[in-house]
Amino acid sequence: MDCTLEVGEDAVILKVIGRVDEATWNSFSEGLSGAVRNARDDGLTRLIVDLQQLAYMSSRGLRALTVAKREADEAGVNISLASPNDVMREILAISRYDKLFTVTDTAEAKR
Amino acid sequence: MLVRFWGTRGSLPVALTAPSVRQKIVGALAAANGMRFDDADAIDRFVDELGFAAGATYGGATPCVELEVQGPSYIICDMGSGLRSFGLDSIRRNAEGHARAYNFFLSHLHWDHIMGFPFFTPAFDPEAQIRIHSAHPDAEQALRRQQEEISFPVPFDWLRADIAFVTMAEGQPIEVDGLVVEAKAQKHSHVSYGYRFTDRDGCITIYSTDSEHKPSDMEDEAAFIDFFRDADLVVCDTMYSLAESVSMKEDWGHSSNIVAIDLCHEAGAKRLALFHHEPTYEDEDIQRMHEESIRYEQLTRERSPLDVICAYDGLEVRI
Repeated sequence: MDCTLEVGEDAVILKVIGRVDEATWNSFSEGLSGAVRNARDDGLTRLIVDLQQLAYMSSRGLRALTVAKREADEAGVNISLASPNDVMREILAISRYDKLFTVTDTAEAKR
Repeated sequence: MLVRFWGTRGSLPVALTAPSVRQKIVGALAAANGMRFDDADAIDRFVDELGFAAGATYGGATPCVELEVQGPSYIICDMGSGLRSFGLDSIRRNAEGHARAYNFFLSHLHWDHIMGFPFFTPAFDPEAQIRIHSAHPDAEQALRRQQEEISFPVPFDWLRADIAFVTMAEGQPIEVDGLVVEAKAQKHSHVSYGYRFTDRDGCITIYSTDSEHKPSDMEDEAAFIDFFRDADLVVCDTMYSLAESVSMKEDWGHSSNIVAIDLCHEAGAKRLALFHHEPTYEDEDIQRMHEESIRYEQLTRERSPLDVICAYDGLEVRI
């Protein structure tokens, strides 16, 4: 699993590559926390987690998203999930995380 | 080892209502419209094809699970309302020669897990021996209190069986009738305990109900993975969706289907029984949760497959 951070004009985009499971959730969680801090420090109110290159995420990753959402709420940052593949869409539906997070088809931010 | 589920519902006993039964009958008749059945076996096969929620029910008794092992005594997890049916069935088995010895293991002392004991008929049998194992030192107080006059007409002291309480300690396994039993503390109000049962053949069943796995405590889950390690069957609290368990129902002390699957995958467990069903769920809701759980297991499987079954009152699982 790898995370890359991109700062746009109105949002921070965190691209997640690979899979998030018991072996990688900690790195993913650190990446999310860093992205929230980055958005806050740059005065941005949006963090887009780009899932296009994510194979899948287990409950570990989903719960890391919950921890990040709490940090983001305190920082005044809104987290959305973008471009999930079909597997990830199913996982978001089964876990009902599609009711906790806004899920979009594309990661759109002003560059 | 044979695991027999006498009660599988969480929090509160529920029963099918007349409209629910009528809906099942109407649905079955509609599905059978124009069909002819040659015999009872053909009807049975048709009912099987309807799906579990349409042709049966998951039941509504609160937790009570029996482990039939090689030893002479009964092994029972929890005393929910399902205990009443177990008690009556054990009297039938006693008449066929089974020892009147009962070994209980209590996950915790909340009402839904002890409410069956005042209706446990063998407790009135002077020849019955009842041993109540719990890692809670206040287990006796809890059982006596629910039979005080303000709550129940028959006081605990009127029970005729030889009843004794055994307080277990986490991480200190005990042996009962050749069965090794280990307790593990779980996150729940007033703490709950999971049990790991290992029989003489090495078959392992885990009973882990009323156990919350919070997002902030994921570092602690290695201990649960060790506790579930290589289990043949894990009976696990799967009351809520993951989203519910981390939002409005956080700190209610329960877990989700997908966390249970992840823990079982990581532990190399062979089979998971979804358990402690939400009392507001209809049969269709539980069946949908079961189907989604099977799908999630397929989507996230990295090693050996995990057989995901859904516990219902009356289910028997042979290991």
